[in-house]
Amino acid sequence: MTLRDIAKKIFFLEILKGLALTFRTMINHPVTRRYPKVKRDPFPGFRGRHAFVRDPETGREKCVACLKCSIVCPSRCIRVEYKETEGERILERYEIEALRCVFCGYCAEVCPVCALVLTEVYEYADYSREHFLFDREMLLKNWDDFSSGLKTDTYFNKFWRLEGIDIKRMPVGKRLQEPIPIKHEEKVTL
Amino acid sequence: MEQMEIEKDLQTRELTLNMGPQHPATHGVLRLVLQLDGETVVKCTPYVGYLHRGTEKLAENRTYISALPLMDRLDYISSMSNDVGYCVAVEKLFGIEAPERAKYIRTIMSEMTRISSHIIWLATHALDIGAMTVFLYSFREREWLIDLFEMTCGARLTVSYPRIGGVRCDVSREFLDSLYKFTEEFPKRIEEYETLIDQNRIWLQRTKGIGVISARDAVHCGLTGPTLRGSGVSYDVRKHEPYDAYPFVDFEVPVGENGDVYDRYRCRMEELRQSNRIIRQCIEKMPDGPILADDAPDLDMPPEGRKRLIPDMSLSHACISLSDECEHITPAGEFYSPTEVPKGELGFYIVSDGSGMPYRMRFRSPSFVHAAALPRLCKGHMVADVIALIGTIDIVLGECDR
Repeated sequence: MTLRDIAKKIFFLEILKGLALTFRTMINHPVTRRYPKVKRDPFPGFRGRHAFVRDPETGREKCVACLKCSIVCPSRCIRVEYKETEGERILERYEIEALRCVFCGYCAEVCPVCALVLTEVYEYADYSREHFLFDREMLLKNWDDFSSGLKTDTYFNKFWRLEGIDIKRMPVGKRLQEPIPIKHEEKVTL
Repeated sequence: MEQMEIEKDLQTRELTLNMGPQHPATHGVLRLVLQLDGETVVKCTPYVGYLHRGTEKLAENRTYISALPLMDRLDYISSMSNDVGYCVAVEKLFGIEAPERAKYIRTIMSEMTRISSHIIWLATHALDIGAMTVFLYSFREREWLIDLFEMTCGARLTVSYPRIGGVRCDVSREFLDSLYKFTEEFPKRIEEYETLIDQNRIWLQRTKGIGVISARDAVHCGLTGPTLRGSGVSYDVRKHEPYDAYPFVDFEVPVGENGDVYDRYRCRMEELRQSNRIIRQCIEKMPDGPILADDAPDLDMPPEGRKRLIPDMSLSHACISLSDECEHITPAGEFYSPTEVPKGELGFYIVSDGSGMPYRMRFRSPSFVHAAALPRLCKGHMVADVIALIGTIDIVLGECDR
């Protein structure tokens, strides 16, 4: 053991070094946020609560009941019922069990008409299980909630047309999809 | 001699102690049944299976591409590496080669995961042993990486980002800029962690000479990853069976000498530096181009191939009928594909019957094998050292129980 080692041992040098670091950090700017008061906006394309896009022309959902989302879903949480009249499918029931969902975003990605979207809403805790069984009306309501909070005039989800993927791999509906215009209710100021 | 006689008179007996499954230091739901003589561990028996979700069975009922989100949940703190490992395996089955850019992106993502997994390991391991500050500092850097994941793929933990034959979407310019800034900053942060614990006398006393396992024993136990390399065996799947962009980057495989807790800690700290180096090289070398192979399967790939047509030549049925046999989507057969995840070697053994779903899939998960080495490591140590030993083998019970 050299003299240096003995000095280290006696004067707690390595511990003092560590303490110096913690004291330096104490006067730095904090990295934490005071969460419920200060919120961080999620990045665009965050996979949060599900919603049906409200078609600006018809005011209804755009779903064509192709069943692709329910087939591709890894947790099998999407249930679709439809009736077929004159070669056209009419959506009768659409349900997403949000508690079983794993938020992989496959449904939004595979949808050929960009009807389904995982919105950037992440605070939707509730006391009862029934509120997490999203049916058609609920999904449309989710969209209204989400779109009213948007600051931009149009909305285009990242997963509808993923960056870098060859457009030839996508169905026509996705290729032609344009950003959804968002109507903002004008606030009346007195 | 006197001590022995006293013990003989007192007729001491062994105590059975249940540690876990709800013990905060068992990193999940690991249950250890310890046979104690005083404070010395005579026998340690790990019980696993409290987090069993049947991932292997679930994967049999899903197409190869739909089974990918299940792999996120194996080792949930390094989900990107698991996904990459799964994609590498399934690409071998399909005979697809991912494009160059996708390979680089996947390498970057794997190494980011390695950093985030190792710093969460360091944080919890240090917290178990009693160093609280490292825990807080480590989460600061982890947050940066997780934000970067969120920027790319929209999820922070269970990413589902890689895709069979490439990746899901391209990385943005801001992502690469921010990540490059991270790689410039991160070596300083590693030094901070080392200032706090590397020479700290309490840390040294708790880690040096604890849980020594020789190179020979470590290989026999089937240990992999930094847990094996701490004993001085230089085995790394990234070097020995390179996949993705690892053949194109320059990095070293750090090894320890003594095979104790301290050496494994040093190994992982050096790995953080090497991962940082790999990310830098990948960003610098990143080529342009497509990110998904042309023959990659679509998201809605069929679970089985089309039915074969068989022309019926008999006179009574002059028509074409469908046979029960389906065309093969994938080649039938079985194979094993290893990848290096932060914990060790994650292998996928896939048995394919030609359909779009695996006939059987088995994971060789490092955590399970490492948990099996616990009895050998714990024997003869104190109860307090068991905590250090659970930390050093770096297990995640989600992967162990699957």
